[in-house]
Amino acid sequence: MPLTYKTIKPLLLTGTNAASRWFSYIGLGIGVLLLLSSLQMFFNIQSLLKKTSIRKNGFDYVSVTKLITNDNMGQDNRFGPADVEELKQQPFIEDAAPLLSNKFEVVASGGEVIPFSSDIFIEALDHRFIDTVPPSFTWSEGQMVVPVIFSSDFLEMYNVFAPSYGLRQVSTATAGNLNITLRCEGKLGQQTFRANIVAFSDRVNSVLVPASFLSWANKTLEGVDDTKASRVFIKTKDANSNDLLGFLEQKHYRVNKDKTAFGRSKQILQGIITGLGVFGILVIVLALMLFSFYLQLVIARSKDSLQLLLTLGYSPSWLSKNVARQFIPVYILVVLFALLLTQGMQWLFHHFVMYDRPELSSFLHWSILVIALLLIILSVITNFRMVRKLLFRFY
Amino acid sequence: MQLQLQQLLPVYFEESRKASSEVWGKNLTFSKGEMIKIVAPSGSGKTSLMHFMYGMRKEYTGVVKYGDKNISRFNAEDFALHRSHHISIVFQDLRLFPEQTVQENLEIKRQLNPYHSKEKIQYMASRLGIGDKLHSKARICSYGEQQRVAIIRSLLQPFDFLLLDEPFSHLDTENSQKAMELMLEESRERNACIVFADLERIDYFPFTRLFHL
Repeated sequence: MPLTYKTIKPLLLTGTNAASRWFSYIGLGIGVLLLLSSLQMFFNIQSLLKKTSIRKNGFDYVSVTKLITNDNMGQDNRFGPADVEELKQQPFIEDAAPLLSNKFEVVASGGEVIPFSSDIFIEALDHRFIDTVPPSFTWSEGQMVVPVIFSSDFLEMYNVFAPSYGLRQVSTATAGNLNITLRCEGKLGQQTFRANIVAFSDRVNSVLVPASFLSWANKTLEGVDDTKASRVFIKTKDANSNDLLGFLEQKHYRVNKDKTAFGRSKQILQGIITGLGVFGILVIVLALMLFSFYLQLVIARSKDSLQLLLTLGYSPSWLSKNVARQFIPVYILVVLFALLLTQGMQWLFHHFVMYDRPELSSFLHWSILVIALLLIILSVITNFRMVRKLLFRFY
Repeated sequence: MQLQLQQLLPVYFEESRKASSEVWGKNLTFSKGEMIKIVAPSGSGKTSLMHFMYGMRKEYTGVVKYGDKNISRFNAEDFALHRSHHISIVFQDLRLFPEQTVQENLEIKRQLNPYHSKEKIQYMASRLGIGDKLHSKARICSYGEQQRVAIIRSLLQPFDFLLLDEPFSHLDTENSQKAMELMLEESRERNACIVFADLERIDYFPFTRLFHL
């Protein structure tokens, strides 16, 4: 018969001081629960904010204007090519492009569906900065239909005031079929085009037309070939970085506040959740310490027996491996229990707090399971090393 | 295989002990198959000598060698292997697990490196007159019974050297003789050396060499 721990097991006095054992189990459970649920909340926030986030591929896109003050009012506060180039040179700015605008008058009218007309502005922006660019977003001379990318925010604003003017509200689906006319008039002439909304942009608050159309119209109708822009769009790793904000302040540039404020509140929320996670880790460390005291107590009480086993010829490595193994099921149970509770909380959160929003899942993120597994491994290794250290002390 | 004592002396003994002792401060070699008798009055360091040879204590000057290895350089794992394969002992203070039964006490040692079957435990216990005590807790057995348990325990593993530290202190002559016979049989089977330390000479131990401590 091979060497078995069964005959040795009764020698380990684990039954004593049950209170300290239960305290450490509960402490460990609470720590694991805190850590896992904070992590899950972190993922929930990520999922919830993803849809409305201005971030794309890990970048923030924000527009920058020059700050208009009483001192510079009346001056040319537009960005020239040198200004754009200077922005591009900054290490915290990945890319920058000017938003070119019309130099002639534009009046848009909605035709029969929307019997409403208004002076508007149109702008052009490099395609790499626009979040939604369909293949039809091109224009060449002679073409009477101008493709337009419309800001989602503008559509929302229109839908807010439309009922009070007796106008029909418009959905994104029907907006593409609207019969919009653009009457463009400059000092050199006047021309009417049909505008077709081909996409909506969450990122750019503007009415965007292809750059080829805008420069043609500026030249043909107004006789200007101006490359200066009132707004510049920048692509950055973090719109809230101190370097970027400091630079913009120094240059007296103003950044679109909505977008950065949104990023900031997200950061604060994630900060709180991270704080909770760190607290969870601290509780785990505390629980493991408590458990180590309990282990020391068990081993101290069983000292005579363990010492005699070593005297009789038992290997301290074999003994510590087997003593440590006794606690593995407990660790697994504690972490599994915390995992089940976290799953229950996630289900309740999704079902009753978030009303089954599709961005979220009722189930835990896969990495939570990985973390739980890592925690079990960590507890088992810590426990083994502790038992081994204590046992080798008897030798 | 040989067990060598080279200039051995406990640190708590004076140097003068070397002159009066046939063991302390001498160079001795015990070989397999030998029967060594060490006669030692109380306080002469009998138990210390046994513990030094078994590697349990290190408060000595000089060297204890097993083969060509100095046992003071053994680590915990080396000792575990040494004690389960090459050397066995009957402690003067018995050292049983008081809360375990006689059977469990013996099984704990037997399973470590089984030399005998489980059935042999029953045979040995019956032979020494404790066959009906196997299921009693060790602490409720008499000293004499516990001593016989300790003797059987020492015989359940392979060994080259068997150290006996006053093994019959709680036994009458008849039971002592029975136990001695069993130990001699087991040692002959392994061609092992017995190092028997006691207060006085015992006639039924057929020693080949005698030392006064």
